[in-house]
Amino acid sequence: MDVVDFYTGSWISDDRAAVRRVLAPDAEVEWNLDAAVDDEELVQTLHRIAVFADAVTVVSRSPADDGAALVYELTAPFGTVRMAEFLAVEGGRVTEVRQVYDVVAVDRFFPGLYDH
Amino acid sequence: MSIPEVHLVCGTRPEAVQLAPVAGAMTAAGLLRPVLVAGGPEPDAVARTLARYRLQPEISLREPAGNGHAELVGAMIHDLDRLWAGRTPSAVLVQGASITSLAAALAAHWRRIPVVHVEAGLRAESPDRPAYRDDDRRLVTQVAALHLAPTALAAMNLLDERRATGDVLVSGSTLVDAALQAAGPGRAANRRLVLAVTEHTPARVLVAGARRLIERYPDVHVRLATSEPVHLDVDRVTVTAELSHADLSRSLSEASLLITDSAGLQEAPSFGVPALLLGPVAERIEALEAGCARLIDPDIGMLVRESAHLLDSQVRRAAMVAGDNPYGDGHAARRAAQATAALLGLAVPPEPMPSRRIAPTVSGAHA
Repeated sequence: MDVVDFYTGSWISDDRAAVRRVLAPDAEVEWNLDAAVDDEELVQTLHRIAVFADAVTVVSRSPADDGAALVYELTAPFGTVRMAEFLAVEGGRVTEVRQVYDVVAVDRFFPGLYDH
Repeated sequence: MSIPEVHLVCGTRPEAVQLAPVAGAMTAAGLLRPVLVAGGPEPDAVARTLARYRLQPEISLREPAGNGHAELVGAMIHDLDRLWAGRTPSAVLVQGASITSLAAALAAHWRRIPVVHVEAGLRAESPDRPAYRDDDRRLVTQVAALHLAPTALAAMNLLDERRATGDVLVSGSTLVDAALQAAGPGRAANRRLVLAVTEHTPARVLVAGARRLIERYPDVHVRLATSEPVHLDVDRVTVTAELSHADLSRSLSEASLLITDSAGLQEAPSFGVPALLLGPVAERIEALEAGCARLIDPDIGMLVRESAHLLDSQVRRAAMVAGDNPYGDGHAARRAAQATAALLGLAVPPEPMPSRRIAPTVSGAHA
């Protein structure tokens, strides 16, 4: 299993310890949610999604030499949220995570996911 | 100093139609070098469409392999990322909400290339009509640095989604620019052509309506374009397959009335042509609010009655289109080119499309 698959499999199955292990200590994290983010806030948010969602599906995966671009569907009880994620990988660890959420759908279907 | 290269990604004919005028405007302004990229499911159709505007794709990507929306998006992100790893543009322009525009926007964002979204802010969903394409539209919105909204309503949608005011420009629709370019300057006088263009309405409704109209009006011609095969041998009724955008534009320049369920609605007011929009619902409501289109039930009686109401009175037709076209004033491409140059620090931002001039009330216009 490669690093990207390990990372996605870990957070989708709500294995926070595994997510922390695969993230590099100085991993850069960005997202478009209206809240500050660092690696621990990322882990906690992914945990909340994994717990709340009925299903999380990787619907698209585009590999590159140094990472991958992923598109997820996060299925909640009342609707689905699309999220794109861009990962950089180096030395067997994820060194950069950039997430783009459909924030309108997040506010609708994942209320309380993050603190404004 | 070399001129920055900007990539305009076209995956389908409509994208090519709407990005062609922007490429032309960029070339004319001389601040940016537009590079047309055919990178989606219809590369040959894109090339043919661009050729109508004397343009051609400089880069053609392979047709993406895969089944279904997600696989195609993934394949296209991969291909565009490989392209931009070796040839990185200063900005990427995408149009609308196709698979291509979503993939190109995400691939550009991945490479931290600024994304300019043409025809931004359209939203189709309502509580009783969830629209999956809005998911794609909103995701493109999230990664775009500049949103070129065709109308004030589209801009409001973007502001409702917390986009910064300074990142949103009401540019007008480049579809109107393309139509005016394709039709040329001439306009037919004493027009008695009814243009009926439908994608979803059953052709039998239009055929029956056309028969009744030519029986009633000996000087009226009907041009019927439908995706369904129709065999009809009736004087003064011409049946064609689907029209290209250039042919649609030229037909509008000769028409006195448009009957449509979608196509031509945005362009018709620029040619002084009122429209009857076949329901039951309208996705683009600006024309209804502006008064240049009326929503009618798609049945034969209603179609003939409303058509006759307008064909009987030049005043009624003129009253409907006396205001400005709510979808554009023919300068959207110039604004798009200037706004992109401004994003890259090469120009001042353009003024938005002026607010629409409201048509004066005409006594008896709706009598």
